[in-house]
Amino acid sequence: MAEPPKLRVLMVSDFFFPNFGGVENHIYYLSQCLLKLGHKVVVMTHAYGNRSGVRYMTGGLKVYYVPWRPFVMQTTFPTVYGTLPIVRSILRREKITVVHGHQAFSTLCHEALMHARTMGYKVVFTDHSLYGFADVGSIHMNKVLQFSLADIDQAICVSHTSKENTVLRSGLSPAKVFMIPNAVDTAMFKPASVRPSTEIITIVVISRLVYRKGADLLVEVIPEVCRLYPNVRFVVGGDGPKHVRLEEMREKHSLQDRVEMLGAVPHSRVRSVLVTGHIFLNSSLTEAFCIAILEAASCGLLTVSTRVGGVPEVLPDDMVVLAEPDPDDMVRAIEKAISILPSVNPEEMHNRMKKLYSWQDVAKRTEIVYDRALKCSNRNLLERLSRFLSCGAWAGKLFCMVMILDYLLWRLLQLLQPDEDIEEAPDIRLCHQRGVEVSEGLKEEDKVRNG
Amino acid sequence: MVSLSLSNKRYTYIHESESKPTREAIDIHHVIINGGRATGYARRRGLGFFLVFLASSMYFLLGKDNPVRTLSWGCLLSGFLVMLQSRKFVNKESVIIMPTFGIQLETQYLSGKTVSRFIPIGKILKPVLVECVTPITCYWSLSLFLRGEEQLTLVFKELRPPLKMLVPIWKALCAAIGTDHQSETLAEEEYNVSS
Repeated sequence: MAEPPKLRVLMVSDFFFPNFGGVENHIYYLSQCLLKLGHKVVVMTHAYGNRSGVRYMTGGLKVYYVPWRPFVMQTTFPTVYGTLPIVRSILRREKITVVHGHQAFSTLCHEALMHARTMGYKVVFTDHSLYGFADVGSIHMNKVLQFSLADIDQAICVSHTSKENTVLRSGLSPAKVFMIPNAVDTAMFKPASVRPSTEIITIVVISRLVYRKGADLLVEVIPEVCRLYPNVRFVVGGDGPKHVRLEEMREKHSLQDRVEMLGAVPHSRVRSVLVTGHIFLNSSLTEAFCIAILEAASCGLLTVSTRVGGVPEVLPDDMVVLAEPDPDDMVRAIEKAISILPSVNPEEMHNRMKKLYSWQDVAKRTEIVYDRALKCSNRNLLERLSRFLSCGAWAGKLFCMVMILDYLLWRLLQLLQPDEDIEEAPDIRLCHQRGVEVSEGLKEEDKVRNG
Repeated sequence: MVSLSLSNKRYTYIHESESKPTREAIDIHHVIINGGRATGYARRRGLGFFLVFLASSMYFLLGKDNPVRTLSWGCLLSGFLVMLQSRKFVNKESVIIMPTFGIQLETQYLSGKTVSRFIPIGKILKPVLVECVTPITCYWSLSLFLRGEEQLTLVFKELRPPLKMLVPIWKALCAAIGTDHQSETLAEEEYNVSS
């Protein structure tokens, strides 16, 4: 008989598959590695179109697609208390011990963390992005974050820069924040078996073509590099609103044969695009971590990137050339990269990346965070309310009222549907033997009464 | 003969089968709403009758003043609505398994009405236990995959019995349609059913 799982984790976020991106990938890989370590992981997210209900993914990862409508940018409509019944149901059914929320922009995450705290569960939060302080949107976002993080047990950030940013925005104590970087699936991102010839140097760019990712910088940099180096060509993968500007640039400088635009590249094909190149160019204006350059380094490409956010922390100095987010500085950086290109060995780079970054390592470190969270003492309602009062003159009192109401609603729910009435779901472990999947055994208790 | 009986606060599950189960024996599974609820519904029906009676008496005895009239109409209407609702109150749902022939799904209401549906054995592809997620809650349900139909057919349309009551019915259905579900459980896992 398999031993019972050591920890039972609920990952909550608005962002999960079938949507594709950094946060989704992070949650998926982390969950898979935690499952391999013997823990039980359940993911909760909102329904995507027709995909609603319970689904099982690889390794027995159970995903609840809760039928709440997303409203803007894939986040659930914020009803504050609306998700309390379903969150309570899931927490009790799966006998969860730790709730792990992802991404500050996810309303479902904040609501679930609030309800989990009210019901006495241990809570961990991971922040994946950097945010500003000055504009209206950021100010409100930071206030919500302050409320959410006032009461959590532990927090995780993906880089030291991100940790500084989160601590400043939320007023959280730095002692509670752990730094665990993202990782890359080095088994999937391998260099090409035969390195492309260096007669023509190929520079690869794969990113969403939006302002934040520095698409405007590309428009300045590409013609200049093409003018200085006749043997350089560019491959641009990705789509977005700035696509039009890049097309215009191609037309204006007649670079149709030197700049290839691939359009949106599905993640499964990213590796095949990367291995055609020698240099990877990242022009983001802000980045908490940047998994894209990890993927490029894992494929043996030399990286040229803007020195923003957490990017300098990601790769060793000999694998990356950094530049300010300014076209001239970036052109200089590309020149330097081209000059050191002959000394770069893709296989050796890949092997170094394998040792530096792995999801198994991330999972082990996250496990330590969970253990630390479980050791945090339980606080009753009054102690928790005192933490909220320090959030601000008006905001503190508002947050206290929100939490008191949440507590009362929880008690009311307990009256209407007692905890014992929520039946526990059996743990279903997938075993692959002769192509058959389900393993489920149920033992009927001796409650037989002869009528 | 009752061979198995389970109950919790809301539902009672009764399994009737032959004393010596042969392959052709008919298998009957009932899920009954517990007494408290049934009398609750009867009480509501009684309330409905009372409201109608009150309405008519108010109308005739207290004269035809406007506020009295509207009040009596209000009582009359609510009384009718309560009585209509009581027709929807389910008393019992049953599954009658007739091997090699088919299964009959029956719903018995408090008003005495019984609605039944027969499904021939050839039409059933597979019975499945599904977790249904709503915006508010999550519960288990037993459904059937039917040939030629896109949607799953619920075995228990109105009631939501707990998993421990659904599992023996699911196993019986699998046995009846010939799916050898035992070969699929290669690794058994302990699951202690809590009351």
